[in-house]
Amino acid sequence: MITVERVTQTFETPAGEFTAVRDVSFRVSAGRFVSLVGPSGCGKTTLLGMIAGLLPVSAGRIVLGDRPVSGGVPPDIGYLFQRDALLPWKTALQNVALPLTIRGRPAGETRARAVEWLRRVGLAGFESYYPHQLSGGMRKRVSLATTLIYGPSVLLMDEPFSALDVQTRNLMENELLELWAETRNTVLFITHDLEEAIALSDEVIVLTAGPGRVKASYPIPLPRPRNVIEIRFREEFTRLYEQIWKDLRDEVQASYARATRL
Amino acid sequence: MKSRRATHARRASERLRLTVGRALLLAAIVVAWELGARAGVIDPYFVSRPSRLAQTMAGWFAGGFIYPHIWATVQEAVIGLAVGIVGGVLVGMVFAFFPFLSGLFHPLIVVFNATPRIALAPLFIVWLGIGLTSKVAMVVSLVFFIIFFSTYAGLRDVDVNLINHVRVMGGTRRDLMRHVLLPSALTWIFASLRACVGFAVIGAIIGEYLGADRGIGWIVQYGESMFDSNMVIAGLLVLMVFVATLDGSLGWLERRFSHWKQKPL
Ligand SMILES: Nc1ncnc2c1ncn2[C@@H]1O[C@H](COP(=O)(O)OP(=O)(O)OP(=O)(O)O)[C@@H](O)[C@H]1O
Ligand SMILES: [Mg+2]
Repeated sequence: MITVERVTQTFETPAGEFTAVRDVSFRVSAGRFVSLVGPSGCGKTTLLGMIAGLLPVSAGRIVLGDRPVSGGVPPDIGYLFQRDALLPWKTALQNVALPLTIRGRPAGETRARAVEWLRRVGLAGFESYYPHQLSGGMRKRVSLATTLIYGPSVLLMDEPFSALDVQTRNLMENELLELWAETRNTVLFITHDLEEAIALSDEVIVLTAGPGRVKASYPIPLPRPRNVIEIRFREEFTRLYEQIWKDLRDEVQASYARATRL
Repeated sequence: MKSRRATHARRASERLRLTVGRALLLAAIVVAWELGARAGVIDPYFVSRPSRLAQTMAGWFAGGFIYPHIWATVQEAVIGLAVGIVGGVLVGMVFAFFPFLSGLFHPLIVVFNATPRIALAPLFIVWLGIGLTSKVAMVVSLVFFIIFFSTYAGLRDVDVNLINHVRVMGGTRRDLMRHVLLPSALTWIFASLRACVGFAVIGAIIGEYLGADRGIGWIVQYGESMFDSNMVIAGLLVLMVFVATLDGSLGWLERRFSHWKQKPL
C-alpha cells in the first residue's frame, strides 16, 4: 500500500523557490492498479521520485506498507523511469539479470530467470544485444523485464509507453496487464493518455496544473481481465472517459494558458 | 544475403585499393628523396638519403646496437605509464568521492597541469639524475593528469538516471561502484589511453634528449651533437615505427573494450 499524506515539494531555483507539488494526498491499496494523470509539468515525476525515496519531501509524509519513506530508497520497490535507464555497457540479458546479480543469487539461476523474462517480454533471441542495438520499444521491454524480475511489491511507472507507436503501445499494455494479473503488485502508473489510464487502472487520479494537487479521483469499475483495445468500445468506457476528460481538460487548458502567457 | 556479400566484396576491394595506393605513395616519396639527394637537388648532408638510412638501420639491428636503446625507452614509457595510470585513477577516485579534497587541491592541479612539462624536464634530471627515474617522472607528469581528469569526469558525469535505476532495484554503494561508476570511468579512461601512450613516449624521449646515456631520444641527441643527420633521421624513423606499432595495438584493445558503444553512422 502507498500512502501519500499532504506532501509538498519545493525546489530551490535561481529564480527563487518553486513549488512543484502542493499538499497532495492519496492512497493506493495493496494489489491495486492506480493511474495518475495531469498536464505536463504538474509534478507527476516529482511525486514518483519522492515515493521512491530519491527525493526528500519538503513537507508531509509518505508511507509504503507500514514503513515511512525517509532517508533513502525503500526496499522492495520497482521504478520504470520516463527516460529509459538501461546500462549501456551491459547486454539485454545482463541488464535484466542485474537486480538478481545485486541480490547475490547463483549465476545459473540468475541467467535462467533473465532468459525467461526476456522471453516473456517478447525478446527471446536478443539476449546479447546492447541497448543501442535495440529499438526504443525493445528497450522499454527490457526495462520492464528488469523491473519485474525481482518481483517488487510496489511498482512505479512513469509514462513507460508514451514514446511508442500506438500498435506497440497496445501490445505492451496488454502484456503489462497479463504480467500484473500474475504478480498483483501495487502499481502507480503515470500517463498523459487518459484512454491508457482508464483501460489499465482500477482508479484514475487527476492532478491539477502545477503546482499539482489532487483534483479528483475516479474508480474504474470495468471488469477484468481486460483487453485494452476492445475495452475502449464499451459504453461504460466512453462514459468514464467523458466524465474524467472534463476535469482533465480544464487543467490542461489552465496549464497551457499559464505557459503561453507572457 | 547476396547483397550483403556484394557489399562485403566492395568494401574489400576498396580496402585493397587504399592499401596499394598508400604503398605506391610511400614508394614515390622514397624514390623522389633518393633521386633528389643523388642528383644534388636536396642536400644529403641535411636530409640523408633512404639507401644510407636503410644501411644505417640495418647495421643497428643486425649489430645489436639499437636494442638496449629501444629497451631503455620502452622501460621508461611503460613504467611511467603504469605509475601515471594507477596514480591518476586512484587520485581521480578519491577526488570524485571527496568533493572537499577536490576543492582544496583544485587550484594546485590546474597550475601543475598548465605548466609545460618540457620546462620541468631539466628539473627532473637535476633532482633524479640521468638514469631511469627522471624519465619515468617526466612520463608520469604527463600521463597522470590525463588519466586523473578522465577518471574524475567518468565518475562525476554519470547519468543520474542510471544511478537512480540501480539504487531503486536495491543497489548498494558497492553495486553502484561496480555496475555504474567504474564502467563509466573505464570508458573515459580507455578513450584517453591512446593519447597517454603517445605522451608517454614523448615524455621519455624528451627526458632522454635532455640528459641520458641511452634510449632512442639519446640517439637523436647524440647524432645531433655529431652533426650526423643520418643518425638523427634513422633514430626518428625507429621512433616512428615504434609509436605506430604501439598505437596500433592500443587501437585494437580499445575496439575490444568498447564493443557496447554505438558506432558513429
Ligand atoms: N530538480 C528540480 N529543480 C527545479 N525544478 C524542478 C526540478 N525537478 C522538477 N522541477 C519542476 O517541477 C515541475 C514538475 O516537474 P515534473 O517532472 O514532476 O513534471 P511531470 O508532471 O512529470 O511532467 P511531464 O508529464 O512533462 O513528465 C516542473 O515545473 C519542473 O520544472
Ligand atoms: Mg514526468
